[in-house]
Amino acid sequence: MSAIPTTPSDAVPQAPGALHDASDARRVLADQVELLYRQAPIGIGGALLVASLVVYELYAPHSRELVIFWACIALLVAASRFMLVRAYSRDAAREPDPKRWLRWFSIGALAEGVSWGFAAAVFFPSISDEQRVFLAFVLATMTAGGLPLFSAVWWVFALFAFGVIVPFEAVLFTYGTRLFSELALMIPILLAINVAVAYRLNQVFVSGFRLRQSYGRLTQDYTTLNLQLEQHLAELEEARRQVEASGRKLALFAERSPIPIFEFDWNGVVLTANPAAENLFGYSAAEMIGKKGTDFLFPVEVHADVLAKWSGFMRSSKPVVAFRYHNVRRDGAELVCEWSITPLVSPANRVLSVIVQGRDITQQLEAERMKQEFTSTLSHELRTPLTSILGSLQLINSGAFGELEKDVAELAQVAERNGQRLLDLINDVLDIERIESGKLTLFPEPRALHTLLQEAVNLNQAFAERFNVRLVLSADLPNVRVNVDVKRILQVMTNLISNAAKFSPAGEAVTIEMHDLGGEVRVAVNDRGTGIPENFRNRIFARFAQADSTDTRQKGGTGLGLAICKRLIETMGGRIGFADRQGGGTMFFFELPKHRAD
Amino acid sequence: MPSAPLNRVLYVEDDEDIQRIVRLSLERIGKMTVQVVSDPLQAIEAIKQFGPELVMLDWMMPGMDGPTLFRKMRELPETRDCPVVFITARAQQRETAELAALGAAGVISKPFSPKDLPDQLRSIWSALP
Repeated sequence: MSAIPTTPSDAVPQAPGALHDASDARRVLADQVELLYRQAPIGIGGALLVASLVVYELYAPHSRELVIFWACIALLVAASRFMLVRAYSRDAAREPDPKRWLRWFSIGALAEGVSWGFAAAVFFPSISDEQRVFLAFVLATMTAGGLPLFSAVWWVFALFAFGVIVPFEAVLFTYGTRLFSELALMIPILLAINVAVAYRLNQVFVSGFRLRQSYGRLTQDYTTLNLQLEQHLAELEEARRQVEASGRKLALFAERSPIPIFEFDWNGVVLTANPAAENLFGYSAAEMIGKKGTDFLFPVEVHADVLAKWSGFMRSSKPVVAFRYHNVRRDGAELVCEWSITPLVSPANRVLSVIVQGRDITQQLEAERMKQEFTSTLSHELRTPLTSILGSLQLINSGAFGELEKDVAELAQVAERNGQRLLDLINDVLDIERIESGKLTLFPEPRALHTLLQEAVNLNQAFAERFNVRLVLSADLPNVRVNVDVKRILQVMTNLISNAAKFSPAGEAVTIEMHDLGGEVRVAVNDRGTGIPENFRNRIFARFAQADSTDTRQKGGTGLGLAICKRLIETMGGRIGFADRQGGGTMFFFELPKHRAD
Repeated sequence: MPSAPLNRVLYVEDDEDIQRIVRLSLERIGKMTVQVVSDPLQAIEAIKQFGPELVMLDWMMPGMDGPTLFRKMRELPETRDCPVVFITARAQQRETAELAALGAAGVISKPFSPKDLPDQLRSIWSALP
């Protein structure tokens, strides 16, 4: 907001008592000066008219030069004052400095007065008695005429009048006749009365200006107040409209929400309940309102617990999200709800009411239980027959029962290999399920990383030989230890090494390296394969991701290996990734934080 | 370490197919003498009669599960000292640790490789005190 009230809406309305002070002296003076200048043309015109009469009356051969000289002075004074008035009216639009203009005006008024006094002084001695009466009358007229013209500022009139009278007085006294001396004595009385009248007039003008200004300010204040009132009313109306709209919106939300919503008071008594709450618990809103929530929403055995929780919650008056409770419907059926509690707190931190949402999660819990049951069934029921199938095939293929016919042997091997793949798939699916449901428990222990890598290489040696690929380990950081689940880290390494071996050209080497990164250690598995296709890069760690669906047939694998690796490494606090290698092929790597013995 | 190589093994398992595979594996490849018991409730009696050097127990069996049978064996003087190896589909680390705490000599997870089973048993056997 601006510091200076420039627009009506910004103006601070003043108390009525302060209004008489609203007229400031400068503004009043400016008004006085303006009045002086506005009336000046009348005075100038009048003076010129009277001067012409005087010239006409007094013009005579013996006083010709003197009359012409005086006429010139009168013209000069009139012209100067006229120019001054012109200059003022040009300046008037720009809030002129009233003191300066008053100064100039008073000089003009004095000059005017003196020019008339001068007329009296120079003409009086040399004219006839009739002419003297004429001249005295002229001077009286001028003085009297100056009264309304100059008394907006009384001392301007006084200056003018003194200018007229003082030279005339001097002449009257020095002339030497008794009549003139008596006249000279009367004139100051006249002057004093005139100045006094001017002073009174001045006061009247000033109070008039003050009144005008105060009235103007009052009107302005009134307009401002009116405008502000209108604005406030409009704002109030807008606010009311918004509150109404959001209230309607809220009511609609609650009404259409599929989640039961209650509003409780501080004591847990129902204030409102939405249709979803009616449907879930089997009571109408009218039946629930006014009842204590604990009395009908919860089974008897948890009442005490719920009440204790509720009062604890009321003390803290903080929102509570998702705590589970067994609840009971009107028909006695039990269900499990997840409750969220949100207090509506006043600015003074008082609980106004409490919004409570209860989501029925009975079916969700049942689904979770079924999924778990299914998983463990899958684990046992699928593995049991597979154990028999694979065991039988392995025994047949072991040669313990003698040599088989070539075709039969081949078929038995096909059966064993695919049985093994099915088992891998089941294991991988179970792994993913366990990891994603958060049920995977890791057993981390500090181990030297290079021995783990050696073990991984030993485990995968036979597999690599099938693809005619060498495994080259350069684990040259014997002091680096990591805190890992051994079985799981071997699973990750087996995945990366077997992938690298599968996709390497025959005769190539897969190199396994360790890099010290400071706080972490990186394990890299490098191959010389064809690289990761562009369109596969962003989903390589996704489930059932394989670059080419024919890979499954050609190379085996479930498409879950890398997804499991990523989750395992991340669960162990590391990260996994891949990069293209210089000269072709891919580097798969994972980074784990080093274990520091405390 | 036991002085003689492992020879007499008793296996308690309700699944007949797996019984057959384990028996063939241990007899044909491992050249051992094997006794198989289907009903865990008769296992104690069979152990007393057969006198095995090592007992293999399945975990999940009708009537009585492997760990319960194992605890029963620990209570009887005739069977108390006989080393026990579990063979189970539930070979998660948690279960392995649980069985080790009970005093099991080893755990072999299902599915196992019948080709390698005799060697696995022998290495457990030779690691015994």
